[in-house]
Amino acid sequence: MSLFSDLYNTLAKFFHNQEEEQADASKSVATNRLKLVLMQDRTNLTPRILEQMRSELIELLSRYVELDKELLDLNFEQEGNQVALMLSIPVIRAKDEEEIDAALKERDEMLKLVEDAKSSKECSEDEKVPDVLEDSENSETNEVSEETSSDEKEENADSRTEEEKVEADKTDAIANELQDIPKIIKKKEKKEVSAPEEMTNSGSNPFKSDNAEIESMAESSSEN
Amino acid sequence: MTGRVIVITSGKGGVGKTTTSANIGTALAKSGHKVVLIDTDLGLRNLDLLLGLENRIVYTIVDVIEERCKLKQALVKDKKNPNLQLLAAAQTRDKTAVNAEQLKEICDILKEENDFVLVDCPAGIEQGFQNAVAGASEAIVVTTPEMSAIRDADRIIGLLNTKEEITSVKLLLNRVRPNLIKSNEMMSVDDVVGILEIPLVGIIPEDTGIITSTNKGEPIVNDENALAGKAYRNVAERILGEEVPFLDLDEPRGLMAKIKSVISKLKVKV
Repeated sequence: MSLFSDLYNTLAKFFHNQEEEQADASKSVATNRLKLVLMQDRTNLTPRILEQMRSELIELLSRYVELDKELLDLNFEQEGNQVALMLSIPVIRAKDEEEIDAALKERDEMLKLVEDAKSSKECSEDEKVPDVLEDSENSETNEVSEETSSDEKEENADSRTEEEKVEADKTDAIANELQDIPKIIKKKEKKEVSAPEEMTNSGSNPFKSDNAEIESMAESSSEN
Repeated sequence: MTGRVIVITSGKGGVGKTTTSANIGTALAKSGHKVVLIDTDLGLRNLDLLLGLENRIVYTIVDVIEERCKLKQALVKDKKNPNLQLLAAAQTRDKTAVNAEQLKEICDILKEENDFVLVDCPAGIEQGFQNAVAGASEAIVVTTPEMSAIRDADRIIGLLNTKEEITSVKLLLNRVRPNLIKSNEMMSVDDVVGILEIPLVGIIPEDTGIITSTNKGEPIVNDENALAGKAYRNVAERILGEEVPFLDLDEPRGLMAKIKSVISKLKVKV
């Protein structure tokens, strides 16, 4: 008898579970999709911005730990009136100090290069960035003041045409400089490979010479 | 006497704003309160149809604003209940024929002589919505347990929260289908309330009786037997400040369920 009842129970469970899973799908899918889309609506964060945020976070975190980039999960959760940013990061392994130092140096050098390039052509770069931001903000709050935003856009367009010629020359120069950056980094990498003993013995010495090189290059470019 | 001005809104169209306005208005009037319903859906008016008053409209809200008639002349009394009056929308004009200040002025005058002024808001978040909300101090957001309706309701709630005059925003969940919720194919009441996070004022079950009541031009609250009618009567009582429990929509109704309940009763007796 117990054998039959066991058999019945397992069968019943099997069918019951299957039914529940199937039916559960449509409701929970709807709830999850809705929660995500409402977070985007409420915070004004578009999928594009979320993606950018994700990639910048990966860049930052991977200086310190080795991540499984595919499985990194970025989400919003609401608890009461508070919106929380939930970040789930599968860590493959923690990096050791030397690796972290190297990564930080690399970042500093990159930042320095970019800043130097920027500061020499500050006016052209700085004006461009806020313009883009303003436009995207206007498009999101369109329903409040459609007329004013379109007016502003026209004004922006006018001012651009006046400065365009000056800007075009400047941006060309920046583009050339930025193309040079990867070359410099490659140079540095080669040196590292060729002189591994030197690196371990005398810490950051090889970098210093590199820094001096890059600085002098940046200076000469800013003079242009 | 200063009455309450309540706007009934939703964002999305077709979720039951007009049906809700007609039924809550009728229920409040039946309980002895003086009620005016304002249809602000200029160009797409329907509240007159649901009340069965379409043939008795002489003047509309636009006639009042453009001073072709007095406000009192434009109010149409309900056939059965003189406590209930309708201020109809103009069918030949669009939303730009009226502005928010004019509508606020009308609400302010009407609330002096009535207990309730219910404003039936058009779909959308543009001029029509801004007009309808202008004179109100309370809002009822109507939604259904569907993603698109809930998303739009969330947007509307956000907009209502920016209006200082509106002190109370409540949720009415319409067209609920308990059997679908039971089989996890529809978001439950708790799911929706959890997402929108505003207090609930009513749960209205899907009811085919709504179709026939619309056909006849008679709100379903007048049908004592209809479940949706009972749910709307409960909403009216909650608006009046009474604590009414929400209907238990999970009552067993199928043949098997009835047999089961009979058997369980027999067991108790044995």
